[in-house]
Amino acid sequence: MRVSLALMLLGGGLAHTSVAPALRLGAVAPDIPLILTVLLGLRRGPEVGCLSGFVVGLLQDVAGGGFVGAQALTKALAGFVAGLIGERLLVGNPLVQVPGLVLLTLAEGLGRYWLLQLLHFPAAFGEVMLHVVLPQALYNGFLGAAGVLAVSVLEAYRSGSLWR
Amino acid sequence: MRHRKYAVLVSVLLVSLLLLSLGTRGGRLGRPGELLAFFITPLQATLSKIQSSALGTWSAYLDWKNARRENQALREELERLRIQSLQVEDTERENLRLRRLLALRDRLPLSTLAGEVIAKVWGGWVRSVTVNRGRSDGIARLTPAIVPEGLLGRVVEVRARAAVIQLLNDPSSAVAVMVQRTRTAGVAEGEPGGAVRLKFMARDGGGAQVGDLIVTSGLGGVFPKGLPVGRVIAVEDKGSALFHYARLHPVADFARVEEVLLLTGTTGADLLPHFSFEPLEPGA
Repeated sequence: MRVSLALMLLGGGLAHTSVAPALRLGAVAPDIPLILTVLLGLRRGPEVGCLSGFVVGLLQDVAGGGFVGAQALTKALAGFVAGLIGERLLVGNPLVQVPGLVLLTLAEGLGRYWLLQLLHFPAAFGEVMLHVVLPQALYNGFLGAAGVLAVSVLEAYRSGSLWR
Repeated sequence: MRHRKYAVLVSVLLVSLLLLSLGTRGGRLGRPGELLAFFITPLQATLSKIQSSALGTWSAYLDWKNARRENQALREELERLRIQSLQVEDTERENLRLRRLLALRDRLPLSTLAGEVIAKVWGGWVRSVTVNRGRSDGIARLTPAIVPEGLLGRVVEVRARAAVIQLLNDPSSAVAVMVQRTRTAGVAEGEPGGAVRLKFMARDGGGAQVGDLIVTSGLGGVFPKGLPVGRVIAVEDKGSALFHYARLHPVADFARVEEVLLLTGTTGADLLPHFSFEPLEPGA
């Protein structure tokens, strides 16, 4: 289980530089590591969410050539918060998971912007939110819904309930 | 145990901040990203190769699928254009036939009526065509029927709105003819096999040769004089026999005839000068 989780995180982290560009719509590309982090946090709790966010964020930082640790921090927080939500709310329903993913993407974007502001990131808040964070949040929600649906079908298939 | 998750969070945040700090200020480890990148870069390269390979396969599949769809569409288009081309060709041929028929009609010094073939009988016993002209159009029995190339046959049965034309190669058909070159008289008879033969009496200085044009003689009063019937393709020399025979190649193409001219009027003139022997080809 841990091996598969590690492989999933490694794949998810690296997918951001390989798969995500292929999935871009115009200038908007999904944040696959964040989707993975939030869904893992919702399902496995804050610890797994936090560590997952840290690992995939770190991989993103390294792969992207930015400030190493920035996305590790924000995604770790996003994974942790997702885990806390998962402990307190019924999050099995995709109608909860997908809006949660959108909101956490927005929150992660805000957090990352705030953190980068400390490091003198030059872009304006409005532009970043309008052109980067908000479209990405919506795309993440769409892609997350597809992912949740795929996982549900896979789980139903494995439990044998799909064909009953 | 209860606060473990917070411990994890704090640890992770501290590590992240440490990395950020090292990365921005530079420290003993240098840019920590470089260290991590040392391990990650080969993985990234491998993943990129896998991805580009998968995308390449997918792209090839899509190309193949598009090419197949395009091929199918082009085939359908080709088929449609081929049919259209055949229709155009057919119309062009029909137009040419009708123009030649009309030209002949204008040239002939007697009244005629054009008719369209609506039925054909092509058996060994009877060879005839039915045209859409009949009693209501003033067609009478034994009216000669011609095509731009020459004689086709004669009307043997008249109905209210149709007429049956006995073709020259009908086994019971007999037409008074002559060799155009020597003026030797004879009879063109149909044969059960579908051929037309010339039965004639050869005299000194008369007879027929291969290539001779056979025309109607005007004897008997059924057919006007000078209607082309056919060309001699073989002569059977019977020696001292009274009658000789020659095989004819009819000028009319019985199998492909679609329009005819019915000679409703009469004339004593030789009609041969009014016929031209042009090939039936579009643009000719």
